[in-house]
Amino acid sequence: MDLTVPPTGSVAATRSASRAWLPASGLLAGTLVTLVGLTWDVEWHDDVGPDTFFTLPHLFLYTGSAIAGLISLVVVLSTTAAQRAGRPVDEVVGGKAVGVFGRTFAAPVGYLIAGTGGALFLLYGLWDLWWHSLYGFDAVIDSPPHIGLLLSVMVTMVGTVMVFAAARDHRWGVFGTLASIAVLLSFSSVTVLGLSAVDTEISPVTIGMTFLSVLLVVLGRGFFGRPGGALGAAVLLSAWQAFSWWFSPWAAHAYASAVGLPLRDNVDDVASMPSLMPACLIGAALLAELVLWVSGRNGSAPRWAGALSGAVAGFVIAGAQPFQDTWLYDVRLAGAGEILATAGVGAVFGLLGGFLGWRFGGMLRLLAPRRDKETV
Amino acid sequence: MRKFRDGAAALLATIGLLAASAPPASAYEPVNIVHTERVQAGPYGLTVGFSTWPLKAMQSLDFTFIPDGGIADKSGTFATTNPETGRQGRPNPLTRHPRKLDVWGLDIRALDSQGDWKFRFVIDGPAGRGEGELSKLPVLEQPGPPMALSWSISVLPLAGLIGFLVVAWRRTRTRVAG
Repeated sequence: MDLTVPPTGSVAATRSASRAWLPASGLLAGTLVTLVGLTWDVEWHDDVGPDTFFTLPHLFLYTGSAIAGLISLVVVLSTTAAQRAGRPVDEVVGGKAVGVFGRTFAAPVGYLIAGTGGALFLLYGLWDLWWHSLYGFDAVIDSPPHIGLLLSVMVTMVGTVMVFAAARDHRWGVFGTLASIAVLLSFSSVTVLGLSAVDTEISPVTIGMTFLSVLLVVLGRGFFGRPGGALGAAVLLSAWQAFSWWFSPWAAHAYASAVGLPLRDNVDDVASMPSLMPACLIGAALLAELVLWVSGRNGSAPRWAGALSGAVAGFVIAGAQPFQDTWLYDVRLAGAGEILATAGVGAVFGLLGGFLGWRFGGMLRLLAPRRDKETV
Repeated sequence: MRKFRDGAAALLATIGLLAASAPPASAYEPVNIVHTERVQAGPYGLTVGFSTWPLKAMQSLDFTFIPDGGIADKSGTFATTNPETGRQGRPNPLTRHPRKLDVWGLDIRALDSQGDWKFRFVIDGPAGRGEGELSKLPVLEQPGPPMALSWSISVLPLAGLIGFLVVAWRRTRTRVAG
């Protein structure tokens, strides 16, 4: 992968910048379609059951990835054509163009990552098909090919965050970054279930979810560069959580009724995927914002502030999870010692998540053109 | 323009045909039991059915649990003991099979490790409560590649993403103060 320096400053570049929101929105729409498909699919298996390859939720999953993959391909090809024709390539479209396969293609880095995720999705889809031919339709989320598929989609979603971050001088770029962070976090909640195979005293799924939540909300704040980024990402995620809490059971039940299948006996009223996400994220994000604001009162926040804010948020998110489980599933509340231990481990992983999120947020800021001397 | 219209009409016709043929394509498999075992749970005789035989670890199948005289006046729970851990799982209520509603059952469920599994039943009905178990349900070795290899292949996108982030981290070190 070679870094190439695109020509800058012309009418053509301005025009491409003014249209940059179009493929970016398409990419976000694609990832949202995938997220709808996954939320629906998980609920379908929980509340109704039978699986075939061609269920409607599966169609959403594949279509979303196809949309994201094709849009990335089109942008990469048009960027390559523009560069070959000597036309300027604007970095607002997905960030700096990098050379791929020697310099055969010029790919804006955000679209390169998103498109790579789309291509991997195809490969893991084939492997999943073979897996099902061997094991049947096992309908478990944490089989190796399923986790491979989910990780591929996450790569596409990371690319989408980068595409919007490259346009942070535009309002749509900032909103799109926070929205795509929320989409990535919602989707990742299922991937974390892969950790359930790890046998530990403290729930590895809770700790994994805590780490990811902290990383992504602190990343929002680091990218935003001023108070509000963590809160913005948390509010958007919580809005999705509330919507899918209503949507996923409704969609699963409506689809079951349309294809003439009954609901399972003993279906509960807990929506499966939204209940995996922390319900206290807005509060935790507010605390993280507060820590960062206090640390940075006299100028830019010091380098340890992201980690500290992450530790505080991690303590809250992990410590609140046993209460959330008791509230949702009517199970016995864990003892005080166990809750404190979970919160403590959550704080340690939150510390790491906050450190990484703060730094990644700073890296995201660099994707936007003409701001590369700025620090966060 | 006309060409476009013709193309759109052809596309719509194709989608229509696909939609019309979708119901048979998405029809759900009937539950096909190829092997049964008998369990005595107190006063209740129970036939446990399997849609695949012999069983292999991680291979999904349909299970049916049919008490003599039907499920209408009975309820109960069912728990499995995994031979690998030796621990009995949480008892779950016996519920109707989603594709065969006149019997209890599990759809497309896999037993995830090889060895002799134990199925324990508690049934409540007109003759009171009865308990019983299928003490040795043999499950053969899993087919396919070893799990460590499968997981290694599956986490490659994550490894790639981490690799990319490490490179980006190093390249931006001087420009990000954080």
